[in-house]
Amino acid sequence: MIILFVALPLVVAGILPLVGKVSRRVVPDLLANAALLFLLVYAAITGRHLIAGGPVLQQLSWFGEPVAIRLALDGFSLLMLLAIALVGLAACLFSIDYMEHYGAKANYYALFLVMIAGMNGLVLATDLFNVYLFMEVAAVASYALVAFGLGRDELEAAFKYLLLSVVATAFILISVAVIFGMTGSLDFAAVAKALQELNAGAAVGVASAFFLMGFGLKAALIPFHAWLPDAHPSAPAPISAVLSGLLIKVSGVYAMTRIFLNVFGLTPALSTVLMSLGALSMVVAAFLALGQKDMKRMLAYSSISQVGYVVLGIGIGTPLGIAGGLFHLFNHALAKGLLFLTSGSVQQATGTRDLDEMGGLAKRMPITAATNLVGALSIAGVPPLNGFWSKLIIIIALVQSGHPVFAVIAVLTSVLTLWYYLLMQRKAFFGKLNEKWAAVKEAPFWMTAATVFLALLCVGIGILFSSTVTTWIQPAADVLADGVHAVIGSWGF
Amino acid sequence: MIVQTALLIGLVLFSVLAILLRDLLKSAISLAAASLFLGIIFFRMNAPYAGVFEISVVAGLITVLFILTIALTKAGDEVRESRVVNWVFPLFFIAFIIIDALVMKGLLRKIPALASGAETGTFGDVLWKGRTFDLVGQIAVILAGVFAVLALFRKGDKHD
Repeated sequence: MIILFVALPLVVAGILPLVGKVSRRVVPDLLANAALLFLLVYAAITGRHLIAGGPVLQQLSWFGEPVAIRLALDGFSLLMLLAIALVGLAACLFSIDYMEHYGAKANYYALFLVMIAGMNGLVLATDLFNVYLFMEVAAVASYALVAFGLGRDELEAAFKYLLLSVVATAFILISVAVIFGMTGSLDFAAVAKALQELNAGAAVGVASAFFLMGFGLKAALIPFHAWLPDAHPSAPAPISAVLSGLLIKVSGVYAMTRIFLNVFGLTPALSTVLMSLGALSMVVAAFLALGQKDMKRMLAYSSISQVGYVVLGIGIGTPLGIAGGLFHLFNHALAKGLLFLTSGSVQQATGTRDLDEMGGLAKRMPITAATNLVGALSIAGVPPLNGFWSKLIIIIALVQSGHPVFAVIAVLTSVLTLWYYLLMQRKAFFGKLNEKWAAVKEAPFWMTAATVFLALLCVGIGILFSSTVTTWIQPAADVLADGVHAVIGSWGF
Repeated sequence: MIVQTALLIGLVLFSVLAILLRDLLKSAISLAAASLFLGIIFFRMNAPYAGVFEISVVAGLITVLFILTIALTKAGDEVRESRVVNWVFPLFFIAFIIIDALVMKGLLRKIPALASGAETGTFGDVLWKGRTFDLVGQIAVILAGVFAVLALFRKGDKHD
């Protein structure tokens, strides 16, 4: 019953505002977290058995009549579902204490769950239009969540995010229309098969360009990144964590990769474009991050840079490169989720995001400082944390596939990443305690618990990286490395 | 061909006007006109259901809602149009038409003919039997919209 990944959060979201009339805090907290915990357990424990014999295809029926709800679960979608459930649950646990002062908690959770349902739906979709639709589901919920604080900054950021997102979806929709016009179908398998038979390089090129612009905007690759450094820092911390950790990856990287590799087939030209865009984002955003004083803004630029690594890895197109890219996607989701949560703890304790105003907070918030350090070092690629292994795999893949220049750029950017993260750690947590913060206390229980949960995952995956790669990453990379055959052969309904 | 081109030009013209006009009422009416053109194009392209929905919902219902809202909130002052409209609009319009024509000319012969025919089956068939998963998505979008309105227009119950 993989439809549960979409149906459960939607149903819980539907009843939450009603429940919120009766109980303002406890029941909504409990319901939302229980739903996400269930999805996590379902993805982590049942998911792997489900796909043991190849991709699971589900055609739903209603009172014995088949209905046109077709879902597919393979290694790649399962990895994404796991990432969504993990980061989603951590952000939701964090919200228990963090969202207390915002009010309207039941509505907040409802929007949060609709966003999760949208992402899950996108990941399970087998059809181009479903991808577009579920992308919009997650996006509409996320606009409201970015603006949830109702401050001037929040509203402005949400509006900017909305406008650029609409441009992105318009590009995606145009491309879907071109593909539908050519092949007469929207189904991944049918489109992939038809494109193999049709000799329409130019039209596929145009469709790819539109998809690249649309998904590039969604993934905030440079030069399509302008909205992200405003939208992500303005949102409440758990939402920043989900946006940066998950949404840009699901509606940008996942959708782009699935369509380019499994439906269109990765051509050498497309591979070069992806690698160049990835490398450009990686470098430019790292320099931009270095100059930031706002803690969350620095993290936002870092997200753009790290998505660059992911796209660079996947763009290589070799099995090792794809595995490295996907592993980094997973690791970055956890580590960036963690960092946005710790930045939320700091912001709530001090009331500021300005790094220059902070200082010495480690004395007052030791757990937050430690978890922040884990996240920062993980993204910077310091062994033995998880981020180190994924970057290492990407760099080895680059060298193996004959791209030594890209490999050098990746290594140098990693040094740059370590530089700005150490700068952040030093300015915020180390050094002399700023007297203003003498009364600051460690974050409340659930906020700390959520960050510790993610930090432990970062350390644990770093130590057990080889079993993580074989159980979760390799099946996902195999699907992508199979190219169009992964879909044509086994996805027909 | 001429009718089609005229309809497309009308669509783009009114769409751009809807964005550039500062008077909200005129802007809403331009949007309705653009939607009307789009609806007619849908009819001519053998998509009557899309045409009916476009004209009745977008051109009709939504415009009524816009105009009602504007009528309820408008202070009654005269709105002075921005000068930008006077020169940006023609410029933008000409540039758009040229780029569009060039792209389409380059593409037309390269895209194979439309593989699918006109809408097959009745509207109900397509919606309920062909695109059921989209309905789930639509329900989710509507839920998101409702929750967004509830959340963003909530009373200031901070620290309650």
